[in-house]
Amino acid sequence: MTSPLATPRLTAPVRRLATTLEANGQELVVFAVIVVLFAVVAMINPRFLSDTNLTTIFSGNAYVAVAAIGMTLVIISGNIDVSVGSLIGVLATISGTLAVNGYPIIICWLAPLVVGIAINAFVGVLVAYVRIPSIVVTLGMLSVLKGGLISATAGAWINDLPPDFMLAQFRLFGIPSPIYFMVALTILAALWMRHSGFGRTIYAIGGNPDAARVAGIRIERSIVGVFMIHGFFAGIAAVLFATQLQVIQSTVPPNLELTVITASVVGGVSILGGTGTVIGSTLAAILFAAIGSALIFTNVSAYWLRAVQGLLILATVLADMARRRRLR
Amino acid sequence: MYKTMILALGLAVGSGGVAMAQSAWTGGDELPTNPLACDGAAGAAAAVPYDGGQPTGAPDMKGQKITVVDVPKLIGIGYFNATSKGIADAAAELGSVDAKTDGPTKANIDEQITFLDNSITSGVNGILFAANDPVAIAPVLKKALSKGIHVVGYDANSTPDAREWFVNQAEFNGIAKSMVDNMAKEAGEEASFAIVTSTFTTPNQARWIAEMAAYQAKCHPKMKWLETVEAQEDNVLSFNQASTLINKYGDELKGIFGMTSVATPASAEAVTQGGKCGQIAVVGLATPNAMKPYVAKDCVKSVVLWNPVDLGYAAMYVLRAAVDGDLKPGATSVKAGKLGDLQVINGSEILLGQPFTFTKDNINDFDF
Repeated sequence: MTSPLATPRLTAPVRRLATTLEANGQELVVFAVIVVLFAVVAMINPRFLSDTNLTTIFSGNAYVAVAAIGMTLVIISGNIDVSVGSLIGVLATISGTLAVNGYPIIICWLAPLVVGIAINAFVGVLVAYVRIPSIVVTLGMLSVLKGGLISATAGAWINDLPPDFMLAQFRLFGIPSPIYFMVALTILAALWMRHSGFGRTIYAIGGNPDAARVAGIRIERSIVGVFMIHGFFAGIAAVLFATQLQVIQSTVPPNLELTVITASVVGGVSILGGTGTVIGSTLAAILFAAIGSALIFTNVSAYWLRAVQGLLILATVLADMARRRRLR
Repeated sequence: MYKTMILALGLAVGSGGVAMAQSAWTGGDELPTNPLACDGAAGAAAAVPYDGGQPTGAPDMKGQKITVVDVPKLIGIGYFNATSKGIADAAAELGSVDAKTDGPTKANIDEQITFLDNSITSGVNGILFAANDPVAIAPVLKKALSKGIHVVGYDANSTPDAREWFVNQAEFNGIAKSMVDNMAKEAGEEASFAIVTSTFTTPNQARWIAEMAAYQAKCHPKMKWLETVEAQEDNVLSFNQASTLINKYGDELKGIFGMTSVATPASAEAVTQGGKCGQIAVVGLATPNAMKPYVAKDCVKSVVLWNPVDLGYAAMYVLRAAVDGDLKPGATSVKAGKLGDLQVINGSEILLGQPFTFTKDNINDFDF
């Protein structure tokens, strides 16, 4: 621990614990926080751990976790997408509009995926080939998508959705489908990032683009690919979002992009690219849902949720910077 | 990393600590409340001097045929279709009124001013309006008054001196009484209830909640207020918050109030998905369309709002009374056809009356 941020005289056991956590990454820290949070709140009110409340916590933010998988890949590749909240709003509205107009349910579920991939392919091309920084492209997309959505729907809600359409309300063994989606997609994405050539390519591009280029990686093509994968996950998140309730609020969920980005960053993705895993981002999304629920169980104003999220993001970015300084 | 860990653990433990120190907050504001009588007697209206504006040189049209234009915030949506219907109904009843609705297709104040300007030029006897902006609309309304045109507002007010009268759809204490009475009827006089609102600082919601607290303490003292949670104007968050309330209180929770048109259907959905229909009553402010599925399933019995058809109907009657000289500054009530005598409040406002409760029997008559 030679970082200037570290306290100079640490006792040996604490130092050992810190080193262990360091080696196993941010995921363990987030996991530990979840465990502590559950323990503390359960002591105050044991009902926090009831199966219905656990279901609420795990399924309530599942769509955020799914969107954060794609966001994690984008950030690992050294880019960012601040338009994902608007994209999910648009894709959910497309899905719902198809459903109320009687299109086959499978089309209603697949259309958001296809449109999400297409829109993000366009974003990827602007970033990779036209070389506009991703923050600028996606800020533009944020306005385009949000404005387009409000103009197209005039803020009207979508009602009368067919029962078969409600994917997120299906249950298997008593567990709502969003939890299956969240767990399965996280595991698949984690394995794929670790073992596939493309997964390692994404890390390489984010970690050191020049080296990646020298090594023969076609960076432009890969970045478009990353954005398209992100669009795919945004599409799944949109379907889960759209099918959770009987109505679709045809506006962009407030601050959704921020929540998704925060989940990725708190989950251990370096905002500078190159490191991080999707397991961390999913754990962080669960943590946020747990904090939101805990605030109600402990009678604390929901405004603390924002403050706690903000503090977590600051703390993780600081830790990330300290780690990089040490590695240098 | 060490610092992160300490900070994160600190946050987790800290939030637990704050929790024990803090009690549930109602979410109401600090302003004085004015709960209505438990038996439904009209509230004592504080005498406020007339503060509206009068037309200058209006011709005496008493009993004669008049032309009226209605300029709502926008046309083509269910809500203002309903007010237009009320206006047309009243005009047909009165017989001597030629009323038409003509307004912008988007809730845009500039377009609305253009429509009003055109109406003044074309020479109408009366204008009904629902303002997109209370201040920006004032000059064109004053221009109408100066040309001898009678001006009455409904739904959304202008500054008082720019119109003669404004038909106020609901007062805070009236909404509060209707909400709490319906909850007591459905969940019982000793029911424990919770509230899902937008944010604690949203002025209308905070005012309603404060009036609800005052009325509940006065008229349903055995009901128990568990807590109020915030859910922004976010559908999914509202659902999660309502579900968490159900999880937290279990069988103790007998009712949920939804304070916004977002929170109420989301709370109903949480009760439905939680399998608590019939055990937890949901009473709230909402538009009928969003609530129809839950009312049809009998999961929600009372949706509180006002009846926009009655609102338009009352506005038309008020305008006719102003033209005929039957409603003058200083009057305390006005006759409004089938709605009976409506009370004058706050100087130059007409109170529509008790809020309207949408139930299984009438909700399908409305489309907004």
